[in-house]
Amino acid sequence: MACTSTRPSLALPLDLAHPSEPLGGDEDRCLALEEENARLRRICAALIERVEAGGSLGGAPYAAFEHTVLLAEQVRERTETLQQTLLELHKAKAEAEAANHSKTRFLAAVSHDLLQPLNAARLFTSALEEHDLPATSRRLVGNVGRSLKDVEALLGTLVDISRLDAGLLKPDKAPFRASELLDVLAEEYRQMASARGLEFHYVACDIVIESDLALLARVVRNFLSNALRYTPQGRILLGCRRRPEGLEIAVVDTGPGIETAQQEAIFLEFRRLGAGADEHDRGLGLGLAIADRISAMLGHALRLASRPGHGSVFSIRVPYATTLPARERYSVTEVHKDLSNPLAGVAVWVIDNDAAIREGMLALLEGWGCRVITAASLRELDTMKLAERPDVLLVDYHLSDASDTEDGLEVAGRLRKHYPELPVVLITANHDAALKGRARRAGLDYLLKPLKPLRLRMLLLQRLASIPKNESCVWP
Amino acid sequence: MDLLCAKPADPTLTASGPVVRTAYSGLQDPSAAATELGISLKHAELGFVLFFCSAEYPLERLGQAMTEVFGDVAVVGCTTAGEITPKGYCRGCIVAIGFDRRYFSVAHALIDDLAGFDLIQAQRLTGKLLEDCRREAPGWDGRHFVMTLLDGLSSCEEQVLATLDTALGSIPSFGGSAGDDNHLAHTHVFSSGGFHNESAVIVMFQTCLPFEVFTTHHLQPREHKLVVTHADHERRRVMELNAVPAAEEYARLVGMPLADLTSEVFARYPLAVRIGEQHYVRSIQGANSDGSLSFYCAVENGIVLTAMEASPLLEQLGDVLAGLRQRQGEPALILGCDCFLRRLELESLNQVESASCLLGRAGVIGFNTYGEQYHGMHLNQTFTGVAIGSRPSL
Repeated sequence: MACTSTRPSLALPLDLAHPSEPLGGDEDRCLALEEENARLRRICAALIERVEAGGSLGGAPYAAFEHTVLLAEQVRERTETLQQTLLELHKAKAEAEAANHSKTRFLAAVSHDLLQPLNAARLFTSALEEHDLPATSRRLVGNVGRSLKDVEALLGTLVDISRLDAGLLKPDKAPFRASELLDVLAEEYRQMASARGLEFHYVACDIVIESDLALLARVVRNFLSNALRYTPQGRILLGCRRRPEGLEIAVVDTGPGIETAQQEAIFLEFRRLGAGADEHDRGLGLGLAIADRISAMLGHALRLASRPGHGSVFSIRVPYATTLPARERYSVTEVHKDLSNPLAGVAVWVIDNDAAIREGMLALLEGWGCRVITAASLRELDTMKLAERPDVLLVDYHLSDASDTEDGLEVAGRLRKHYPELPVVLITANHDAALKGRARRAGLDYLLKPLKPLRLRMLLLQRLASIPKNESCVWP
Repeated sequence: MDLLCAKPADPTLTASGPVVRTAYSGLQDPSAAATELGISLKHAELGFVLFFCSAEYPLERLGQAMTEVFGDVAVVGCTTAGEITPKGYCRGCIVAIGFDRRYFSVAHALIDDLAGFDLIQAQRLTGKLLEDCRREAPGWDGRHFVMTLLDGLSSCEEQVLATLDTALGSIPSFGGSAGDDNHLAHTHVFSSGGFHNESAVIVMFQTCLPFEVFTTHHLQPREHKLVVTHADHERRRVMELNAVPAAEEYARLVGMPLADLTSEVFARYPLAVRIGEQHYVRSIQGANSDGSLSFYCAVENGIVLTAMEASPLLEQLGDVLAGLRQRQGEPALILGCDCFLRRLELESLNQVESASCLLGRAGVIGFNTYGEQYHGMHLNQTFTGVAIGSRPSL
């Protein structure tokens, strides 16, 4: 047998699946195997060299490449882990938000149910206060009224902050005169201030501004309540300053003032500085936290300036409106001018499906001298075959009843077909901005439950005033 | 020859015109070619020009012509081993992209001392590029990516890229090594009005358009392994594989006589190193008379090379382009660095026409490289680049 080659076999030495089998005689095989052995030894040496150099990054180009590849691989892995973590976080956040949302809905539903009977109780006590009562009873009625008001205020703030936090409260901005907001507040707080022996100054201003009237009212109300609460003696001023960027509505007091270090903290939840001037005064310390959140939502700048020992100024800056208020004033049809009692003889129709509320309204309005017709629904009103036309309609938005699916807006619309330009006040416990917008577009006034008797009275007086307000001044 | 073969690549128009314009010219005369590009690319909002040209142009005159035509607008480019134009593969011509400054803020810098490029310089350079982008477009919050153009014969790619990548941090980068139509003699990059060798140009883009930096190849590992038992890493040469002369061992692996080892063979039977789960092709540049093999990238004693084989290139390329389109929407541009060995493979398989169609349809503009760069890695035999969507991401 001839030896064909002295070269090693043609197999690749690292082909583990097909180990080389040199052919030929013993000597040839021996030679071939020795040669392969030598090659494998050198391969081994090269691999050892490489493995041992592995960690050193020095200047070797291949090492730089390998290092970059490994680094890129690490980055890829970490990015994947991060993305996974982010995904889980998003999921957890969504779940938490959903849970929070359902809690808020629950709170809103519960508060709605609580507000209804509270509203009735408030109306009854207000009506009771109008009666001639012995002094002791009067004091007791007064106490009942104040306690109810406290409950209402506490409940209201809790609902407000939860709704604000859940983002459920959406601003509904429209142009209106500053006086439309401030006249009512001034009237309300003037009485409270004088009850505490404080001077109250109000500088009226009828510049047209653009904001959400109800939300802005809540902010200014918080300023005023705080001023009353913390000013033991001296003065409180409610007024406006024209700034280039907008109208600054300010509440100035001669209270103890706030240390600079405390000025940020008072806008946090549940912070109260010292004791209020009024021992009966109750609150959760949420007022300024709510004011802060509302102003952020409205995009109005909130400002606090204070000198300890001298007093404080709380203010909010509201942009000027570029258009006039859209709502027309209703002129009064009939004359029932009794200067001592301006509401005497006014025909008021009340539609509410809650009998207790109807009764409460009846007592309250008759106490003001109004001629009141109440009905649970439009259908019931129809059956009365009334000859006289109403001067104003107070209607509950939520009239849900198995027999009658109309809501307050629709009822108002239908009645206005018979009595064009009839002033309508929509009363609701629903804080929905969309509903408020609908009411405004329909030219309806809008009051929230629980109804505050003073506000209703102010509104009725305003709507029934014989002289329409001067609309000529627009700023800027 | 068609004098007006230049035209916008993509009909993707936004309200204010295409976000990029592309043009190419086959004219041999440098100033005529530059003028032709200028006609298609110049407009009021032209912010930056990137070009790829054949190394056969008289480069000095071409550089002057480009500077004259585009004036104050920054121009960057490099020589190629073939161009990818709006009509697909081309040779001996020049292709260029004009970036609209309303969509792209672009900054660039030249590294002329590759060997001395250290981390401190890399960090300074990155800071300067970011600052330049910001100055061009203050207040933008678009994302950044970086394109690197290297002199493909400088043998310094690995260190420069690793260093630059460290400094760039999370900014994605890709690029290509300049070519010279397979002569392996003079590759150049162009910046600041002149051609340079032994240099690199780093281009930073900031854009609010969506983009994706990608790399892909069509090669599968076989089971054969070759160990480098003797290498000269400075010259990127492997003397021995498995303790026998490298060319001989490679010839045996592919089953061909030594004399038949051509670039086409190297393209069809590449070798790769495996790191982790991935294979990275280390392309062979040529077989030398001393029995050694020269590589396009760094080699070292003791590295294990895996024999690779090709899967159908066109099919794989089609899938990748479709994927990019699906993720980024209708592309405004795909800027591609395509290894010249891929083109050699297509040529030997007679598939250049089909590939040109595929690239043209997808809006790919680019060039054939002597090596690609991706996230600081120096790669071979890949198609690497960036796909830029035509609608701003939210």
